[in-house]
Amino acid sequence: MDEQIDIGRRRFIVATVAAGGGLALGFGSLRATAAAFNDPVAVGSEFSPWLVIGSDDTVTVRVASPESGNGVATQMAMYVAEELPCDWTKIRTEYASTHRDVVEDWVYSKPIPENRFFAGRSTTKERMNSMLQVGASARERLRLAAAQQWNVPVAEVEARDSQLIHRPSGRSLGFGAVADRAARVKLEKEPALKPEAEWTLLGKKTPAKLHIPAIVNGRAQYGIDVRLPDMVYAALMQCPVHGGRLKHYDADKARAMPGVRAVVVIDPDEPRPQQKLRNPDMDWDNSAQAGIAVIADHYWQARKALETIEAEWDERAGAQWKSDAHIVRSASALVEQPGKTVTTIGSPDQAMAQQTQFVEALYSTPYCDHAQMEPLNGTAMVTSDRVDLWHPTSMADVAHYVTALEAGVPLEKVYVHQTLVGGQFGRRNFGDDVRMVVAVARKYPGRPVHVIWSREESMRQGRYRSLNVVKLKAGLDEHGMPQALIGRTAGHNFRPRNIRDEQLGMYSTGFGLFFSAYAEGAIPNSRIEYHDMPLHIMTGPYRGPGYNSNTFILESFIDECAHAANIDPLEYRLKIYANWPDPGPTLCLKEAASKAGWGRKLKAGMAQGIAVGNWGSFGKPQAGTTVCAVATAEVSKKGQLKVHAIDLAFDCGRILNRDAVLHELQGGVVFGLNMSLNEGLTLKDGRIVEGNFDAYPMLRMADMPQINIHFGGLSGHERFSEIGEPPVGVIGPAIGNAIFRATGKRIRSTPFRKQDLSWT
Amino acid sequence: MWVVAATPGNTRVDVGAGVRRGMSVKLDINGQLLETDAAPDTPLLWVLRDHLGMTGTKFGCGIAQCGACTVHINGGATRSCQIPLAAVASDGVKITTIEGLSPDGSHPLQKVWAEANVPQCGYCQSGMLMAAAALLKEKPDPTDADIDVYVSNICRCGTYPRVKAAIHKAAAMMKETQHG
Repeated sequence: MDEQIDIGRRRFIVATVAAGGGLALGFGSLRATAAAFNDPVAVGSEFSPWLVIGSDDTVTVRVASPESGNGVATQMAMYVAEELPCDWTKIRTEYASTHRDVVEDWVYSKPIPENRFFAGRSTTKERMNSMLQVGASARERLRLAAAQQWNVPVAEVEARDSQLIHRPSGRSLGFGAVADRAARVKLEKEPALKPEAEWTLLGKKTPAKLHIPAIVNGRAQYGIDVRLPDMVYAALMQCPVHGGRLKHYDADKARAMPGVRAVVVIDPDEPRPQQKLRNPDMDWDNSAQAGIAVIADHYWQARKALETIEAEWDERAGAQWKSDAHIVRSASALVEQPGKTVTTIGSPDQAMAQQTQFVEALYSTPYCDHAQMEPLNGTAMVTSDRVDLWHPTSMADVAHYVTALEAGVPLEKVYVHQTLVGGQFGRRNFGDDVRMVVAVARKYPGRPVHVIWSREESMRQGRYRSLNVVKLKAGLDEHGMPQALIGRTAGHNFRPRNIRDEQLGMYSTGFGLFFSAYAEGAIPNSRIEYHDMPLHIMTGPYRGPGYNSNTFILESFIDECAHAANIDPLEYRLKIYANWPDPGPTLCLKEAASKAGWGRKLKAGMAQGIAVGNWGSFGKPQAGTTVCAVATAEVSKKGQLKVHAIDLAFDCGRILNRDAVLHELQGGVVFGLNMSLNEGLTLKDGRIVEGNFDAYPMLRMADMPQINIHFGGLSGHERFSEIGEPPVGVIGPAIGNAIFRATGKRIRSTPFRKQDLSWT
Repeated sequence: MWVVAATPGNTRVDVGAGVRRGMSVKLDINGQLLETDAAPDTPLLWVLRDHLGMTGTKFGCGIAQCGACTVHINGGATRSCQIPLAAVASDGVKITTIEGLSPDGSHPLQKVWAEANVPQCGYCQSGMLMAAAALLKEKPDPTDADIDVYVSNICRCGTYPRVKAAIHKAAAMMKETQHG
């Protein structure tokens, strides 16, 4: 199919390739040349840019958010099907095109002006309502078309199970039979959405993710599975000290190796044409890193050749950090001094002076890598006419922009082909991986270049969870309750995401230091301060950014306060939240504690710990998702830790797909377990040490505790908040607090596997 | 346009000198004899993915840690990233990949996987399924401990509880079919 089609004709075009699945969410093969460059490919009549109905009754829903395992595509389809009563087996999804968004006056991103529209989650109210409306509108147009065809009043036509039924006569037509006519119907007025009480699918049914059949056959197509005519492969190495530059390299041996076509250098300082583009909120750094790539006929050839290249790097300022301990030592000194203020509630200094008992502690958490199972990769083809990118990005609009910027072409000449995403957890947001793929491909124009990071390269060139050092001080009143809290952090910059400091040539990050209920009024007086450090390690969002380590720190510290006050940790938290204008924390604390059998007698060395937190609310009540975990853990005298069970309660308001929620929460618990028990990158001479799963271990089947997810904490508040990130924060502190009660040892750093837990 | 107008000094594209091909060999994969000219030391994983275009077998770590590349070699689950082509390019070596686990996705594990919504991102699941299939062949009625030992694959999404439940369910299904 020719790409230069008149877009106005789109709805009448029958795709010539890949019928019966095709590129839908990257399920099919990209081997056919025409198919590779043209998406989407739904066959049928286009009702709106979001919806196509085929003559075979197939309903194709276009999805802007990449599917990375969170079920977002299936959720979007559920919204449409709630209002468009169709046979669920006839529902398909495919990715919306960023190119179409650009050339058709922001047809996808303008109606719902959310930042990073081609990304993220499915449950915001705007997105839900817009997709419900897409379904409702199509239903009414189908009814009208059928009524016209039968020449009967539309009120007599019912839509049900992909059928239009004329009730008086019993005649029926499939959606597909009138789709073409219906797609041309213009409604005088958009139909009203049905009341939530009449929903039959949302909150009622729990369909499995639509793309699972392709996964279990091995046919699902991730970024790394893209295969194109004349494609060549590239292996990549970047400066091991982030922010450094290439000084010298010797690639003579590599060039002579079998299959090798080229050795190319990526130079961040090479001038790139400046372009002013409509900005999709790219307030982070995704500049190119200094690197070398070998391009060959096959990946293994490229990889072997790359390993022979000797490179000398100008390591720049990052080399000053001799180890991670070096950073923690410096940060620990800084947090003893007053820093810049982030937030103040009440009069913390005055309140602190009035208290009788004080608790002080120093905490630290390390850099963590996302370790998503699909290593970073991507494919790009740069020609004089257009630039194509096939990529497992988690933000296709950002990928589109980065491609345009790196290739120096206008947005209209960029085509992003979104694939399935083999795990992201925040790693594929920035487009830094897109940048490197395009940077390599534009040095080898005219052929699709498939760039694959080795696991080691993927892990050592991460955009990590930031290292965090925090000093906390609480003042407790005569009842032992906290009246004042002062927190100081040092490390990566307190600014959103990854902003590059041009002057230092370094990278800094931070994300909402505390944003917890404690710092937003649950403790009446508080102040949070920070110190910037000139750190070069590149950081980024990692499942539950900021929250994931701050919850460990705060919830362990609150446990210290409870201990100092000689009050049961559950009771202590219930007291803190007693007047909080949101029932969620109390509901979740009670639900998790009662289901876990809180307070029951356990054998020596075994204990329970509890923690509560909220992701997404920034400390405000009736928002985000509140979670509470109880960990039941055992520590041997030698210090071996075994987590027996995690009981988790949550309040995201309401839920739309119970099984999907359960699945995400289970996964979030496992992620939180691994983060707290296992994960921590170390640094040597400015370089990340760990490169693979032997040094950066992952929990496996045999390591799993009993994971119990409880639904009794749901408050029924009208929101549908997200559930992927919330569990991650509370697992670590629940376990740490159990360790304290089992051994008397307070653990103020993760991962637990590196702590001495032995006791007598 | 800037991209293609880049000067040679700017692009530093150097065309490689040697293209020495390995000897062509035949592999028995999913019951078919497939020919490849990959070098003998190329890991089976990359022979499958790059040379033969069978991308169901995934690259995860390259050091036999994660199991995403698990295939069957003569029925036994094997991490293909550590098996050089030369080791399997001989008569009597039968390789099965996820594409050949069943002709049509009808293996009980595949069916249960879909019904029970097991995968999240799905990237590790080919390897999980191949490890589980080898287990059920050896131990049709596995205990939890058997599953822990045989399915040591890494899943970052944390599907472990569902994988375990699904293996038990598939085992029960297979037993029923046998007896029924």
